[in-house]
Parts: sequence; structure tokens; C-alpha cells
Amino acid sequence: MSVLAEVSGNVTAIGYGLAAIGPGIGVGIIFGQGVQAIARQPEAYGLIRQNMLLGFVLTEALALIGLVAPFLFANL
Amino acid sequence: MITLTAPAHGDEFSAPTPDELFNLPPIIAGVDWFTKPVLLAILSAILVIGVCWGAFSKPKLVPRGLQNVVEYGYMFVRDQVARPFLGKDSDRFMGLLVTMFFLVLVWNLMGVVPFIQFPVASHIAFPAVLAISVYVLKIYLGVKYQGAGGYFKNMMFPPGLPKPIYLLLSPIEFLSNMIIAPFTHMVRLFANMFAGHMLLAFFSMVGFWFLFEKLTPLGAGVGVLGVVMTIIFTGFEIFIQFLQAFLFAMLASMYIGGSLHAEH
Amino acid sequence: MSAQERRPEEDGRDFADAMWSIPSSLLAGMAIYGGLGWLLDRWLDMSAFFPIGTVLGLVLAGYLAYRKFSR
Repeated sequence: MSVLAEVSGNVTAIGYGLAAIGPGIGVGIIFGQGVQAIARQPEAYGLIRQNMLLGFVLTEALALIGLVAPFLFANL
Repeated sequence: MITLTAPAHGDEFSAPTPDELFNLPPIIAGVDWFTKPVLLAILSAILVIGVCWGAFSKPKLVPRGLQNVVEYGYMFVRDQVARPFLGKDSDRFMGLLVTMFFLVLVWNLMGVVPFIQFPVASHIAFPAVLAISVYVLKIYLGVKYQGAGGYFKNMMFPPGLPKPIYLLLSPIEFLSNMIIAPFTHMVRLFANMFAGHMLLAFFSMVGFWFLFEKLTPLGAGVGVLGVVMTIIFTGFEIFIQFLQAFLFAMLASMYIGGSLHAEH
Repeated sequence: MSAQERRPEEDGRDFADAMWSIPSSLLAGMAIYGGLGWLLDRWLDMSAFFPIGTVLGLVLAGYLAYRKFSR
């Protein structure tokens, strides 16, 4: 088999770029829906804020794992 | 742009490298440190001082002229940056916050003014100095108002958590507040300006290359696309520059506010 | 009336506090416990503690953010 195409340089940068797509969309959805919910019912701001931040923490964790994945999987 | 295409890029299009974009030669041959960023930093300092002096040196109760215009900026900083975080103490720190906001704004805007076209904050030394000075101020104010032990105790042990968790979580709190906060403060401004400048240079290079250097029928479309993208991106970049200046001042105010009264 | 004015400012401030402190505490958690795991790896000559420490730090920092901001 001959080589058809080759990526040279740092492949982990591409990996992080791909890994940031999902959390980016996720955070956008969380805060978009959160703002809509606040607009519909401003009295529930505290409750909505708690849940928004919880969802944000979990989604951001995935993005940060993507950031350190090259180091995590280097020796395994 | 003429000086950018003068070095031999050869026959193929290649993107501008960070070295030729940011490593600028000294203006007066022999004075090694006096490069274009230094000149722009001095110019923007003179500009900010001159405008604020002209507006506020003889303040009148009913503002006219320059004082009227600059007062809009002052009120913006007071209401959006200082009051939400500092509350009653905002008057003490208005000088610092107004200066920081206007200085960073002028620094950033230099990146899109024709013939100047260099955002001063894209050399990391400039945001680093501001961020480090805010960091030192934060620690000094925290120790002064909450006591040396009290400041670190309040920061590392927020109330309301079960006792055994404190041992695990206090290093996280300490590292996050003491080390990551000033680092991200500085890097946020630097990275945004650096990336924006590189993207602007790239799109301009695409437009210039395909329309003026090597005009081919197929390439002209790409060139026009490059020019359109440059225009759109310049508009977006102005918004980002304003936002980054606002964010820098807001974070400075947040850190100062956090060390004046204990965070709950 | 002053309680009403104070409330949006407080909310804005709490929200901005959360937005900047959550990613930085996630990073700090990962750095500390990942670092501890890496040191443990070097001492015991294994290669598994570094990922375990990183994920543990992430989970702990997430828990810290949750307890701090859902009051």
C-alpha cells in the first residue's frame, strides 16, 4: 500500500480542534436555553442559574479533557 | 503590505509567518529597543493622558465639549465595570479602572487604524505588566483588609462545605486564585490580539497576492473573497478589541473587589 | 427600593464570578491532582496514575464548583 495522503506536524492540535466542537455546541445550547427560560419566567432566575452552571461545568470538563488528552494517552 | 511581499515568497502563496509579523526592526538604527510597538505604546499613553487631561482638568458642573464626550466613557466604566464589583468603594478605584480601560482600548484599536496596524497588546510584555500590577494590588489589598492569615483562609476555605472536603479542595482554590487567575488575565488579552492580527494579515495577504501579485482568472475570485473577508473581519475585530478591553478592566475590578471584602 | 436595585447587581456579580472561576478551578484541579499522579508515577514507575489523577482532579473541581454556586 502506498501512502495517499499524509499529515505532518502536530496531530494533537487537530485532535484538540475536533474535540472542541462538541463542548462548544453544548455550551451554546445550555446558555441559549437558559437565557430563554429566564426570559419566560424571571422569578425562577436562581433555580435556572444553578442548573445552567451545573451543565456548564460538566460540558467544560469534556473540553478540558480534550486539552490534556495528548499527554494522557502518550504512554498508555 | 509592500514590505510584507518584498521578501521572496517565491512562486507559491504562503501565509505570513509570526516572525515577520511580530518581530519588527528598530526604527532608529542603533537604538535597539525603540521598535514600532514601543513607539505605539508611547503614542497611546500620550493620547490617553492628553484626552483625559483636556477633558477633566477644568471640570464644569454642566459639561461641554470634550468633557461631555469623555464623561460618557467614564460613566460606562463606572456603571458596568466598577459598580457591580466594588459597590461603595468604586470611587477609590475609578482612576485605575478608567486608565486601564482606555489604555487597553487604544492599544487594541491601533491594530485596525490604517498605516499603523499593530495591536500593541500582541507583544506579551504589555498585558503582562498590567496583569502583574493588578495581581500585586490584589494581594496587597487582601492582606491589608482581611489580615494576612484571614485573606488566605477566606480564599481557601469557603464556608458551607463539609469539613473533610476542605483538605482536598483547598489546593484547588489556592492554585486557581493565585496562579491561574493572573495568568489567564494576561493571556486572554494577548491571545485574542495575536490571533486577530494574524488572521487579518492572512486575509489581506490572500487578497493582495491573488489580485496584485499573481493575477490569474481563477485566482481573481479567491482574491476578491480575500478582500471581502478582510473587510468583514476588520469589523468583527473592532468588536473583539472593544470586548477584550472591557473584559480586562472588568476582571481587574473583580479581583480587586474580591480582595476588599471576603468572598462568600 | 434599594434591595431591588441591589439584586440585579448582585446577580450579575455572582454570575460573572462563576463564569470565570469555574474553568480556572477545573484547570487548577486537573493540574494539581494530575501533577500528584505524575509524581506518583515516577516514584512507583507506573504509568496509570497520571490519567487517574487528572480525571479525579476534574471531578473534585466540578464538585467544588457545584457546591459553591448552587446556594
